[in-house]
Amino acid sequence: MQDDALWYEAAQLVGITNALNVIADGLGPLGAAFPAVASDAGETGPGALLGEIAAFYEAAEAPLAFRLLAHDPAYAAEVWAATRRAFSDNRLSRRLKESLAFAVSLTSRSAFGTAFHLREMRRLGVGERGVMEIIGVTQMFSSYTKIADTLQLEPDMEHIAPVDHSPAPGGSATPAPRERGAAQVKGTSRAKISKGDRRVASRASRISASPSPAPAARSAPKKPV
Amino acid sequence: MPTVRLRDASEYPEAARKLFELSSLWFNYDFAQPPAMSRVMAWDGEFGGPHGRAMKRAMGPGEFTRGEKEMVAAVVSGVNACSY
Repeated sequence: MQDDALWYEAAQLVGITNALNVIADGLGPLGAAFPAVASDAGETGPGALLGEIAAFYEAAEAPLAFRLLAHDPAYAAEVWAATRRAFSDNRLSRRLKESLAFAVSLTSRSAFGTAFHLREMRRLGVGERGVMEIIGVTQMFSSYTKIADTLQLEPDMEHIAPVDHSPAPGGSATPAPRERGAAQVKGTSRAKISKGDRRVASRASRISASPSPAPAARSAPKKPV
Repeated sequence: MPTVRLRDASEYPEAARKLFELSSLWFNYDFAQPPAMSRVMAWDGEFGGPHGRAMKRAMGPGEFTRGEKEMVAAVVSGVNACSY
């Protein structure tokens, strides 16, 4: 998980998941006051869009969030394009993305998102053990984060993960910032230089500094993950 | 600033210090001082022990890899708006 591209994908996913949950959980219960667009709303316009979305999820109808947004088909189409991009296989697999979305939804107490992404996880082959693994991680880090916040702990593992010096997609590579390392090169070992080129670790890594973990190799997963 | 004084590893009993060594193994990183969370959880072994074992069980490889679970944990931490 050392490439920034993986984390950009994850961040997009978290954002759009929350955005869809806000709509479905907030507007869905309003019922007649803000009705969802019918899935069979014509073969053009919202109907075509909702059909495309339903096909992506191999479902009878599009998720509630999109049926609520379909009152403005042009807006809904843009949200869908972003959603499809965020949830499609890329550097991260769709299976993992749905699992991340499930964790996000569970954490934010989204009834819509939790149920929807749980179904998607199972549809994409995650077994009951896998579901419990995601539930366990979600619960544990909902504990660690609150302990850290209560005690106002400050980040203290800034140097644990390496910096990704690759350019933005389509951009040009720039040399690694040697100035920063140069000060540390003088009179230091190669290992120290490497440390100087590290950055803030994931919050997860920082927070999971439990006193009784099991030893585990810290290796980058194969791509896509 | 933390609301408590985080004790140095040397202020902990020997049993806790052995657990700090496991933290280094978990991260494959030689810390000058154990991470703050390790020291917090080592304060009360009767809480930190089972909590840490639950974390270890949740984070261990299964249907998902450790790396995938670290990413799940990161997004959960983000949603919880935890700055640590």
